[in-house]
Amino acid sequence: MDHLLSSIGSHMFHLFGLLAVGGALAMIFSKNAVHSVVGFLFAMLSVAGCYLCLSAEFLAVAQLLVYAGGIVVLFLFVVMLVEMTKYKEKGLFQVQTPWAVGMVAVGVLGFVGVFWKAWFGASAVEPLTLRPDLAAGLNVATQNAQAVSRGLFAEYLLPFEILSVILLVALVGAVVLAKTERV
Amino acid sequence: MMEHAVPALSTPIQSSVLWLIPFLPFFGAILNGATGRWLRNNKLVDAIALGSMALSFLLVLSCFAQLLGAEAGNRSVNQTLWNWFELGGARVLGGVTVNTMKWAYKFDVLSGCMALLVTGVGFLIHLFSTGYMADERTRGEYYRFMAYLNLFVFSMLNLVLGANMVMMFLGWEGVGLCSYLLIGFYFDREYAAIAGKKAFVTNRIGDFGFMIGFFLIFMIYGSTDFDTLMGMTRTILARPEITLFGASHAPTWWFNLVGCCLFVGACGKSAQIPLYVWLPDAMAGPTPVSALIHAATMVTSGLYMITRMNFIYVNAPVALHVVLLIGALTAIVAASMGLAQYDIKKVLAYSTVSQLGFMFMGMGAGAFSAGMFHVFTHAFFKAALFLGSGSVIMACHHEQDMRNMGGLRKRMPWTFASMLVATIAIAGIFPFSGFFSKDEILWKVFEGWYHGGGYNGPTLNLVTWIMGMLAAFMTAFYMVRLMVMTFFGEYRGAGHDPHGLTVPSEVVHHAADDHGHDAHDAHGHDDHAAHGHDAHGHAAPAGHGDHGHGDGPTEVVWNMYVPVAILAALALVAGFLNIPHSLHWIGSSHFSEWIAPILYQTSAHHAHEAPPAIEYILMAVATLVWAPGAMYLAWRFYGADPTWSTPKAFVKRFPELFEWVNAKYYVDEFYEAAFIGPCKQLGAQLWAFDTWAVDGMVNGAARFTLMTSQALHWFDAKIIDGLVNLVAWLLQGVSSGFRTLQSGRVQNYAFVMFLGFLVFAFWKFLA
Amino acid sequence: MVSLNSVLLISFLLFSVGVAGVLIRRNVLIILMCVELMLNAANLNLIAFARHSGTVGGQAFALLVMGLAAAEVAIGLALVVALYRKKDSVQVDQINLLKG
Repeated sequence: MDHLLSSIGSHMFHLFGLLAVGGALAMIFSKNAVHSVVGFLFAMLSVAGCYLCLSAEFLAVAQLLVYAGGIVVLFLFVVMLVEMTKYKEKGLFQVQTPWAVGMVAVGVLGFVGVFWKAWFGASAVEPLTLRPDLAAGLNVATQNAQAVSRGLFAEYLLPFEILSVILLVALVGAVVLAKTERV
Repeated sequence: MMEHAVPALSTPIQSSVLWLIPFLPFFGAILNGATGRWLRNNKLVDAIALGSMALSFLLVLSCFAQLLGAEAGNRSVNQTLWNWFELGGARVLGGVTVNTMKWAYKFDVLSGCMALLVTGVGFLIHLFSTGYMADERTRGEYYRFMAYLNLFVFSMLNLVLGANMVMMFLGWEGVGLCSYLLIGFYFDREYAAIAGKKAFVTNRIGDFGFMIGFFLIFMIYGSTDFDTLMGMTRTILARPEITLFGASHAPTWWFNLVGCCLFVGACGKSAQIPLYVWLPDAMAGPTPVSALIHAATMVTSGLYMITRMNFIYVNAPVALHVVLLIGALTAIVAASMGLAQYDIKKVLAYSTVSQLGFMFMGMGAGAFSAGMFHVFTHAFFKAALFLGSGSVIMACHHEQDMRNMGGLRKRMPWTFASMLVATIAIAGIFPFSGFFSKDEILWKVFEGWYHGGGYNGPTLNLVTWIMGMLAAFMTAFYMVRLMVMTFFGEYRGAGHDPHGLTVPSEVVHHAADDHGHDAHDAHGHDDHAAHGHDAHGHAAPAGHGDHGHGDGPTEVVWNMYVPVAILAALALVAGFLNIPHSLHWIGSSHFSEWIAPILYQTSAHHAHEAPPAIEYILMAVATLVWAPGAMYLAWRFYGADPTWSTPKAFVKRFPELFEWVNAKYYVDEFYEAAFIGPCKQLGAQLWAFDTWAVDGMVNGAARFTLMTSQALHWFDAKIIDGLVNLVAWLLQGVSSGFRTLQSGRVQNYAFVMFLGFLVFAFWKFLA
Repeated sequence: MVSLNSVLLISFLLFSVGVAGVLIRRNVLIILMCVELMLNAANLNLIAFARHSGTVGGQAFALLVMGLAAAEVAIGLALVVALYRKKDSVQVDQINLLKG
């Protein structure tokens, strides 16, 4: 099972990754807004799968709950709200699209080209692998949540609390902003 | 016979009031000139002018008394007022000198006498003017006349009292200016203005020569102070040669040159040939001016200068010969001109020129004291004659032509007596003053040829002596002619002209009932009578006596005949101041001894030889035969024969000769054609050049400026403004380019941000 | 085991797709979604490093980021709704009041 996991595991990650990129591409290149949301959803799901491959089970589930469950739904609500099917868009893509695409391509190619040798070349530094003593600790599914909670409530308590305040603010703000004009 | 001299002055007396002598008249001139116009108080003008003259004269007397009290070697009262200007680093013969020209006065034996003459005669003439210028008093011009007269006295006193050549030159120029102002006093009359101009310009030509001489003296001596010059002359003469401007000559050569140059100045100022032409025209000024300036003082300044510079002339034989010759020529030519004049003032003017020639003859013969003495005696009798003629003119209502006078002897006794005394003096009859001065000069000239018995002196002396004797004859003749025509016979002015001798009067006649108002035009012919033939269409002489002056000319007011009488009295007795050695039993030569200290000694003194017999012979001939003969001749022609038949016959026989002499040998016309005409032509050509070229250049410059400004305007509009506009356009373009960055669209901003990030990343990673 | 480098590569690709989407699309909502995608890519990065270093801080941080993203989406969508009410459009290039 380990062997299977490990062999499929590394390739599984690549698969999920490619799926995520594909979903993202679909999102940005689709004409229909709802199709974009669906692509987004697909990307989120794939990212959750990536997390699983990286032994971050708690976060994978959180990703599913928050993103795929909450944010995508919100997006769908708003997409429906603005009723975009009512009017024809002037154009899907902005004026600067060719420039932007070109620039991003240049950036990607340049970046990847610069780092390809470092990452995947013959003299590439041996990638970081899991420390053997920690690997055992992280293999247990139950221990991941524990670990995360330990970190969250002990070390990173303050950011956690602040995050809750932020959520409150966001809640209030959303209500205020979305209110209609009339009293 | 050269003059005896004593060593240079040892200790001059310092005075602190000497400056008042010239400056009192100066203050008078300033006061009158500045306030006379709006104060309009003739009595005040009189008081200021006469008062300043009188005070000045009294001061001169007191300084003269100081001189009399001092020893012979110390007879000099000095005062230095201030440093006039500094002359730094002038290169003169002795090296480089730094000179300070001082405003200093020196009242010594010679200048004291001159100052006495100027202030004394000046005062008398001022007094005369108070009566003569009666019309100007009513017209409000009087203050100007008195101011000018005072200014003239100031300048003349500067000239004679100056302690150095610069002061003398200051006075020299000043009297020239005042002469111009006074000759052209009636400046609204064209011929008066022209005469003034002529006098000034002719003077100026002389001044040029004077300046050359003056500069040469400074270059040779290195100083201009008279005492210094006298003292240095011996050492200068001891040099073997003097080199100036690259030319090397003996000192005597240079002295000759200096003497001739200075004499040119004297010719201009003292009216010698060829610069005498201004003096007859100068009669356009009022008669007191003629008396003061052109008889007694200004014209004698040339002679004063020569006497002052005697140390040059005594060592410059060529210059002395020139002086002698010119003097003699002038004497005879002017006397000949005087024979044919009808205007009373013109006769006297030519007489003055002639007598000045005599004075220069005396200087040229080396007899400086004789020449100077004649200056003084001539001043007395000529001033008396001029003032007397002024009285006559005034009495005849500004009639100047002698043909229209006559018979004034009984009407104007004082004037007649004074003028008679002066006439006898000028003729040279013993014991009047003219005898002692004029005949002394002639004797000195003759003596130069006589040469102690050898009759082998320079022939020039003989020739000039003959010319002088002829001139003396003519002098006596025309003076008696003047007296006879004016004072004897019947008065021809009242229409009583049985022999047809009068000419149409130039005087404009007043209307019968207002003779006071046309005085302006009446003055207009004070001096015009030489051309008495052109008719102005005025009323006939018969009308002259028609109006309310009663019965013709009468004696003038006291302030006019008293000065004349005083001057005539002086002309009578002044001769006794300088009795020549040959008549030493009558008296001694006070004047010659008096001015001896300032004369330069060159040779041994011959004074104590016995006078030769020929001297007495010539003296007796001159005073008993020659002059009385001329006087008798004139009496025969004009007095004994009321119709003047002999002169008229002479004129009829030789009409061209008479015309020629009457027109003064056409000298004026010659000058006009030879010098003045070409000058005017040159002036016209220069004017044409100025109009064409200079104005053309000015206009061209204007046009050029216009073109330049148009080009600049184009440059400014197109290029400068273009640059400014360019900047604005660039800014606009750039800013509108940048403005597109501010699209307001966030995605554009995001795009740019990403771009920046990329650039940064690549730069970091690739660099 | 998944090598770190491939995770980084994937996360970079995701990130660049997100950037491209922000720069390309006119629709505000899709731009917001792309922003979320970028956040996700960052999350992936964090988790990768957390795993390969054996600490848990990265995962906790990723959780916080997730929460923050949710808050941000809420506010953002509220803004979009308000904007839609004003401009009656969700085209980004029509929101250009700041145009200079």
